[in-house]
This record gives sequence, structure tokens and C-alpha cells, in this order.
Amino acid sequence: MRATPVLSVIRYLLLDRITYLVLPWGWAAFGFLIDVVVLRLTPAGHTDHRWVGGLGAVFLVMLTVGIQSVARALPFALTLGVSRRSYFLGVVALALALAVCFGLVVALGQIAERATGGWGMDMAYFRVPYVLDGPWYQSWLTATTAFALLFVYGMWYGLVFRRAGLPGTTVFGAAQLAVLALAAVVATWVHGWKDIGHLFTTLTATGLTACLAAVLAVMLAGGFATMRRLTI
Amino acid sequence: MTTAIAVDGLSRHYRDHQALTDVSFEIGTPCIAGLLGRNGAGKTTLLRILAGQEFATSGTVRIFGGGPLENDAVLRRMILVREDQTYPDLRVRHAISAASLMYPNWDVELAGALLDTFELPMNRPIKKLSRGMRTALGITVGLAARAELTLFDEPYSGLDAVARTLFYDRLLADYTEHPRCIVLSTHLIDEAAELLDRVLVIDHGRLVLDAPTDELRGAATTVMGAASGVDRFIAGRTTLDRQSMGTHTRAVMVGRLDQRDRELADHLHLRLEDVTLQQLAVYAAEHPDPSGLIPARAS
Repeated sequence: MRATPVLSVIRYLLLDRITYLVLPWGWAAFGFLIDVVVLRLTPAGHTDHRWVGGLGAVFLVMLTVGIQSVARALPFALTLGVSRRSYFLGVVALALALAVCFGLVVALGQIAERATGGWGMDMAYFRVPYVLDGPWYQSWLTATTAFALLFVYGMWYGLVFRRAGLPGTTVFGAAQLAVLALAAVVATWVHGWKDIGHLFTTLTATGLTACLAAVLAVMLAGGFATMRRLTI
Repeated sequence: MTTAIAVDGLSRHYRDHQALTDVSFEIGTPCIAGLLGRNGAGKTTLLRILAGQEFATSGTVRIFGGGPLENDAVLRRMILVREDQTYPDLRVRHAISAASLMYPNWDVELAGALLDTFELPMNRPIKKLSRGMRTALGITVGLAARAELTLFDEPYSGLDAVARTLFYDRLLADYTEHPRCIVLSTHLIDEAAELLDRVLVIDHGRLVLDAPTDELRGAATTVMGAASGVDRFIAGRTTLDRQSMGTHTRAVMVGRLDQRDRELADHLHLRLEDVTLQQLAVYAAEHPDPSGLIPARAS
């Protein structure tokens, strides 16, 4: 039986296993080694957790992988008779699948990290204070959402670049900054900074995950709207 | 013959450029049609709209009875391989695998034979292929997909004469074995003339000629000889071109010749030559409405 167009798109994208599977965790391994070397060379101090930021590389790579998913692979897919909608759904399905698997790796890494006393040196590589420092299932959910969000955000940037080139991408980025600046102005006018600070200090990791999921939904809607008007 | 492509009143307007104006035609299947025209005439835009990769400003496009835009049922029956085809950062074998995933009639043996014919190294990254090799990869994908509608946009760009001949031979052999609708856009009209069942000429976004190739062969003739003889011969006929050099004149006239015409030409010591498809396309572009020369279907 013939695969559905969405499944075919996923299989098509996974022909590039280096980008989607090897690159993120290659960077993770490299970051891990760098962190180990740094911790070996620096005094331990009096803390149980020596926070390092190597895991951030994986999240950043997910952003670039999202861009890559439409920058080069999209035109050939459309050549091969794939509709924009099927391609979008295929990319999103792959993003979610990767995010779930990568999130699981983070959760399992936390378990191993705690069991080994931070790899024998109190290193907190798979843990991030406040955000990824809870029970494994909580970390899994948060990491999965963050991975998916960054992938889809990258994809949206890639789509905007395909449709509008560098000038359009610059305007797209500037518009986001403008929205943030406007929000800051409004917060100042209505004297809302105190409430915002209170929100952040009381927000749980679950609440943060829900916020990320809401942003992800916006990204998906924006990405799909951009994809629908894309020409190659 | 089933209608593969039906285009009616198609126009595409960009901010400062009218790419297509009121284009209408139908192509049945099986058929090999040539889409001819100068650079910037609108050929690629038309093909992109047919493949659902570009949006029409107005008009309708039907492929096998359905609109191609975001229509998986239609799109999976067609392929458009472009001259400026963008490939992912993969190897040749990956591109072949990708195409095999998408097309139910993908022919593994044909793909292998074409890769051998064009000497394409399976493990080489596509970005390291020469221009001709990338073209050959597009041809391989386009033919082996066996899509019911195959659109080639300038398929032999960068290919040498030997490789182009191989392409024509392979295309004809495969078409004979598996008849389907193939549309080629090209500048090398005469080279592909023997392949084509149908010719469509686009100029400045307008369809200026649309006719079966057989009807075009002999539809116009170049008459050469003494000016007085040529003028007498072409009197009362539509002429597309006339050039004089001294007493020698060369005129291109529309209309088929019969035995009496040939005897008259012989009597007047005139030389007659059939106008090639390439020349016809040029004349059609220069004379969008030459009476007698089979014009594009009224839209």
C-alpha cells in the first residue's frame, strides 16, 4: 500500500539523517565534552550543582534544523508533486516526533545525571535551574515543547525567507521586536511591571510549558499561513 | 484522447510585469508538446502555475479535470523538473530515493539505466555536480517518475550534444512504451522537432501559436530568387518576412504548396525551402496574428 503524502514527506526529510538526527546530538556530545573539560579545570566550590549550558546547543541546533527543513528541501518536494499542506504537515509531524524523542533523551539524561552524582563531578548538564529540574516526566514535557517550538520557529523563519528574501526576513524579525517593545511600552503605561514580575516568580515549570505550548500554537498558525502563499 | 491540461483565460500579473495574458489551450494525453518562446516569454511561469507552484491572477487551470493548487490527488500524477531546480543538500542516490517515494509508477530499472547513461555518480553530493550533471539528474527523475503529466522546463540546459541526443532517444523510447503527456519548454526547437506532436509558442506572455506539429510542417515556405520572380510567386499570399539584397530576394510566405506552385517556382527559377519549426516560432512571435499560419486557439 502506498504511503500517505505526509508520511512520504517524513521519509523524504529523513533521507538527510545527518541534519535531523546526528547534528543535534553531535553538538550535544561536543558541548558535553567542553563542559567536562571546563569543570575539570575550574574549582568545584561549595555547591551540589555545577550548572553548565552545553545542552543549549541542542536547542539552538533545532532552530537551525527547522530553517533547513524548508530552505533546501521544500522546492524539490514541490517538484515531486507534494502539496504545500502535505509538506507542512510532514515537517510538523517530524518536528513533534523529534521533539518527543529528544525530550526523552533529556529526561533520561537527567535520571542518569542524578544517579551518577552529576557524572562524578556534580555537573548539571541535562538540568537547567527552574526550567528543567523537576521530575523526569515534567522535564520530558517541557523539553519536548521547547524543542518543537524552536524547530517550528526556525521553519517559520525559513518560510518567510523563501517567500520574502532577506528584506522580508529582516522586517519579520523587526516586527517581532516591535511587538515586544510595544508590549513593554503598554506595560509601563499601565504600571504592569510589578504584576509581570510576580507572574514570572510564581510561574511553575508546568505553567511555563503551557506558555511555550501557546506560543508554539501561534508559530504553527503563522507558519501554515506563510506556507499557503509560498511560491517557488 | 483524454484532456490532461485545460487552461482558460490564464493571466499572471506581478507588481511591474505582466507575465501571462489571457492564455487558453488544451492538451490531451498521450502527447509530447513543445512549449516554445524566448527568454522571459512566460514559459516557466506557465509551467509553475500548471504544477501548482505559482498562483494565477485570473483564469482557470485544470489538470486531469482538477485544479492543481494544493490538490494531492492531482499533484501526485504530475512532475515539473525545472532548469533552475533546487535540490536539498543530499547525494544523488538520495534524490533518486526521494523521487521513488513519491511516485507509484517509479521505474527503478529506467532510473538505473539513465544514471548509467549520463554517468551520474550515485554517491556524489548534488551540490558538487556540474551543471550538465544536475540537468541529467533532473531528466532521470522526470522520466523515471513516469508521472502521467511530465513537465520539463528547459530540460537540456548545460547538456552537451551527445547527452541531448541520449535524452531524445530515451524520452522517445520510454514514451513509446509508456505513452503519457509530456510538455517540454525549450529554445532548441528544431532539435526537438521530431519528438513533438504539438507546438505552443508564447511571446510576451501571450500564446501566439498552438497547433499540431504535422499541420505546421509545410505551413510556410521560404522563397528565394530574383526579386521579380519572388514577387510574382508570392503575390496574393500572406508573407511573414521579405528581405532583398541586390536583385536577390528572400521571402517567407504562408500557405501550403501544390504541384502547380512548384512548377511555377521551377519556371521562375526560384528556390523553395520549408520553414523550420524554429523559424515558424520566431515568425509567430513577430506576427502574432498571421492569417493562414495556424494561430492560437481564440481565448
